[in-house]
Amino acid sequence: MSTNNSSTELHSKVPQLRKQMKDGALSRREFVRFAALLGVGAGAAYSMAGLPSPAFADDQANMPFPPDDPNAQSGGVLKVAMQVQKMEDPATYSWVEMSNQTRHILEHLTMTGPDNVTRPMLAERWEASDDLKTWTFYLRKGVKWNNGDDFTTEDVKFNFERWMNPDLGSSNVGLSSIAALMEEKDGKKVMRDGAIEVIDDHTIRFHLSKAVLSFPEDMYNYPTALVHRSFKPPFSDNAIGTGPFTLVENTVGDRCILKRVEGIEYWGGKVYLDEIHYYNFDEDNQLTTFAGGDVDAIYEFGVEQMELAKALDGNIIAARTAQTLCCRFQVTEKPFDDKRVRQAIVKAVDNALIKELVYPEGGDVGENQHVAPIHPEYFKLPPLVRDVDAAKALLAEAGYPDGLELTIDVGNTDGPWHQTVAEAMRDQLKDAGITLNVNVMPASKYWEIWDKTPFGATAWTHRPLGTMVLSLGYRTGVPWNETKYSNPEWDKALDEAEATLDVEKRRALMENIEKVLQDDAVMVQPICRPVYTIASKAVHGYPAHPTQYHQFNKVWKAS
Amino acid sequence: MAVTEIEAGPSALERLSHPRALIALGLLMWLPLMSYVMGGTALGPAADYILLPAIPATLLLYVLGVRAFRESRVAVIGLTLVFFWLLAAVAAPYLPLLDPNKPIAPFVTPLSEKRDVFFWLGTDFKGRDMLSRMIWGCQRVIVWGVSATFVAYVVGALFGLISGYLSGWWDEIISFVANVLLSFPVMVLFIVILNYLGPSGFNIVVAVTFASAPAIMRIVRGLTLDIKTRDYVFAAQTRGEHPLYIMIVELLPNVRGPIIVDACLRLGYTTVAITTLTFLGLGLQPPDPDWGLMIRESAKTAMLWKFSYMLLVPALAVSSLILGFNLMADGLREMSLRD
Amino acid sequence: MLKLILRRLLQMLLIMAVASLLLFAIFDTPEFKKRLAVQELGGFAVSALTEESYNAWLAEKGLDVPFHTRYLNWVGDILQGDMGFSYEKNRPVGPLLLDRLANTGILAFFVFALMIPLSLVLGILAGMKEGSAQDRTISFLSVFTTSIPEIATAILLTVVLSLGLGWLPAKSAMINGFSFRELLLPVLTLVIYDFGYVARMTRASMAEVMTSQYIRTAVLKGLPYRRVVMKHALRNALIAPFTLIVLQLNWLLSGVVVVEVFFEYDGFGKLLLEAALFPDVEVVQACTLVAVAVAVLSQIISDIGYTFLNPRIRFA
Repeated sequence: MSTNNSSTELHSKVPQLRKQMKDGALSRREFVRFAALLGVGAGAAYSMAGLPSPAFADDQANMPFPPDDPNAQSGGVLKVAMQVQKMEDPATYSWVEMSNQTRHILEHLTMTGPDNVTRPMLAERWEASDDLKTWTFYLRKGVKWNNGDDFTTEDVKFNFERWMNPDLGSSNVGLSSIAALMEEKDGKKVMRDGAIEVIDDHTIRFHLSKAVLSFPEDMYNYPTALVHRSFKPPFSDNAIGTGPFTLVENTVGDRCILKRVEGIEYWGGKVYLDEIHYYNFDEDNQLTTFAGGDVDAIYEFGVEQMELAKALDGNIIAARTAQTLCCRFQVTEKPFDDKRVRQAIVKAVDNALIKELVYPEGGDVGENQHVAPIHPEYFKLPPLVRDVDAAKALLAEAGYPDGLELTIDVGNTDGPWHQTVAEAMRDQLKDAGITLNVNVMPASKYWEIWDKTPFGATAWTHRPLGTMVLSLGYRTGVPWNETKYSNPEWDKALDEAEATLDVEKRRALMENIEKVLQDDAVMVQPICRPVYTIASKAVHGYPAHPTQYHQFNKVWKAS
Repeated sequence: MAVTEIEAGPSALERLSHPRALIALGLLMWLPLMSYVMGGTALGPAADYILLPAIPATLLLYVLGVRAFRESRVAVIGLTLVFFWLLAAVAAPYLPLLDPNKPIAPFVTPLSEKRDVFFWLGTDFKGRDMLSRMIWGCQRVIVWGVSATFVAYVVGALFGLISGYLSGWWDEIISFVANVLLSFPVMVLFIVILNYLGPSGFNIVVAVTFASAPAIMRIVRGLTLDIKTRDYVFAAQTRGEHPLYIMIVELLPNVRGPIIVDACLRLGYTTVAITTLTFLGLGLQPPDPDWGLMIRESAKTAMLWKFSYMLLVPALAVSSLILGFNLMADGLREMSLRD
Repeated sequence: MLKLILRRLLQMLLIMAVASLLLFAIFDTPEFKKRLAVQELGGFAVSALTEESYNAWLAEKGLDVPFHTRYLNWVGDILQGDMGFSYEKNRPVGPLLLDRLANTGILAFFVFALMIPLSLVLGILAGMKEGSAQDRTISFLSVFTTSIPEIATAILLTVVLSLGLGWLPAKSAMINGFSFRELLLPVLTLVIYDFGYVARMTRASMAEVMTSQYIRTAVLKGLPYRRVVMKHALRNALIAPFTLIVLQLNWLLSGVVVVEVFFEYDGFGKLLLEAALFPDVEVVQACTLVAVAVAVLSQIISDIGYTFLNPRIRFA
């Protein structure tokens, strides 16, 4: 098997993608992204798209990281304020913070960069069959665990088998790629026989039961970090990894100290920092701690702290995301079981105005259908227009000519801006004769009722594909369907979209899907928010990421 | 009330507590304020007028209070501070203030103009007017603070009377429960109770009652033990009165004096407790303005010299109210010592 | 005396038993368990759990048995010196609590080191000449400082000394190890809030002593005023404040919560609040036991001290 050979054949779908790009059905950036998922090197994909390759290492070295900065200085300790959590079992992680602590020790088969392009990481490259059902991953040679063992397909197989063990309860089984490796047996989902084929020490092949495009992308989901074949939880007791750092101390709620591995040559080239220290601060206090100069960077600050951040000596880093707030109705509860009432509420609210008020800088206006503009298959519907008279008419028709009184539950689970949104809605709804009471409760209380309250404001995190969110949240009877929305025809349309690889066709299908959901008025979704973080001016290369994944290999600190 | 005073009660206190007119005025001020804050939207259109009679009542009460307290400068200062906030609380709906919950322009520094609005005390991180939030904020602090203290007194005094008057098993049980509660540090008790019941005004009343009633019970119990041997109690007993009647009609009025001073101090503690608990996220919930909440919100958005007014305004407001309560207590004590 | 102390200690144990049983019962509700699950797994993940897997999770955490069984196990563990395990901090409660108590201890040490001399001196100065300008100034000052709640004092100090003048750091997280500069603001806050109370009590006690027969006699005998104060008045006047100061230890455990949270100082109070909100039952339990023990023990110490210092009781 030849390696590092860039003359590997292009996937048969690539010319098709290329044609779509030429026809304008696919933006150049999306072409790069899809071509990369199909195994085309990122550099090659950029040049096919006629785009300047961004600052990434050249294709020959095939590195997922940004290129070495000629001015970079080695050494130093990067101190980051973030919640320090336990590092029990990477496959069952439930918070991004714990995965950030681990991401400097454990690595993934692939890595999705800030440009949303997925590049090979511990795999050197991959190939997909024409029907997208067989995926072959070629592992990078010369990768060593920090205990001296070689990284081989045995490790990969071990991890996949772990994830699919029903007793482990890893959320990875929800990924479409992993789900396609499994089957139901005796009421339990288990790995299908022959789903994983080990070809040699550095080649492994996966046989999927249905076509999945996002296999490489799934491999950078936060619970898919690869552990050593001898792994036993808790990870923090025996932190063997392929990454450039190793764990010195992890005290939950206090600090996590990571130090460069010594004595083993790291496969990924130069790494500048000597140590990474995470110090425990909850999200409210991270920015004020940064202001005091104790830390070099933080995990996140909220939009309400923007003025404070601007006044500080640091670089504010913003990432555009699909993170959003759904002020959603439960369509089975009175009065929301009447579509006219829901439509009246939606019509009386001006999403664009709320976005301006809450996130004056960055972010996108939400369109009450949960697919965000940064999703590749997003179809731009005509903008929503506020129409108070129409809202009043609808209300009267529904039997509320004198208006009605509603209560929205708000838990501020993602920061106090939820409440600001609800208050802005309250003021706008007044014009249509609707009295909205804002019932604010602590976040922990909100999580007890988020899928039960008739009217509540729930935060949804970023997911790379629009179909993923819709499938998780609005299909009939799925666990996270907080709206109790049930529309078999819509479900069918969504099935069809999910099975369509052709982006142009998929987007065409999305028009109807988005439109139906918007017309059924199951939520007011005013904002797709950006995420903000800040790093001191001495820190270079601090990455922006839509889900706040930390990867500090090329971060360096000026002394 | 045909009760002969045994102790020559402190004259200033007597002047304050006897006339029924004062009580009527107090109720005229208090009941509308309480229903305004606790009733919320249930009041409907009545909410616009309900506080109107409370304004003259408050002013009149203040004048009468100053007359009664005029011999102690400290008490008058305290009274003035407290009534300043009381007046602010009852008059808030009628003052030319901006909507305290309406975002106008964020981070406007005090004494400056933005979007054609002049801000005396600036605006907070959401762009809400600090002056109007400060004034509206005192409503909730005062209403919940006073209610909580009042309930704690009712409960504490009741158990104190029972325990002191009936003695025996009643006393043993009540005293043991009080001891259990008293050996918790107050904050632990607050945190555990509010965390269990969930944060809200009514639950603060419950928590304050649990925390304060045992101490009040001890005071009342001590006083009761002292006066239950007096002749008039004995007389009532021989008349065959029901113990409940004796406790409430004969004993209660005579333990009033020391309790009023204690109440002033305790009002201060309760106000501190409510503000602190709200700051810690266990007390009153947003969005309505409240001092503790203002501190909580500013502590993370305004840790900078140029924004420090956001922290200072609520901090100074709450300090002045508590100073008022404490000076009043001090003055009262001073007066009662002098008599 | 010994009998009294034993009775008190026995009562303390009884109170601890009742209190901890109550706490176990309180934290046993389904809502609290759900909240714990949300903290561990995330709000979305918990909703996706089936009944069966949620129960499995409860079993794994040992939460599937009735609370009295858990309580008995817990009591058994405590008797063997095991304080339980913190869900939130993922480590045994014993060492965790010791760490945080040590931090609060450092804070308390400096608070007392500053507060005791300050309040005693001011109290004595005020009580020496009751009603004088000196007395009025000190009395007003102490009412004034005690009236400002800790949170407001903390804000004023931070705004002036840290944000304004930039002399001291605004937060006391001490991530680079112990730093006295970072400790100053919390210490000052607590001292300012607390000294007034002790000073007032000292003043009252001193004023009472100064009007007593034997001091008047001493003054009338022509002894130098200074000597009368130093030799005769002080000793008796300091009995009451002593008891009070010991009792401040108990107050400090409550008062420290808001200060530690505001300044991000990792002490007992912050631990307690975090644990209660999490809800980290066994940490709350341990903190409460410590708090009760401190309350009762400080009461006993102050009683013993009072007896010991007061000749009228000692020789009676």
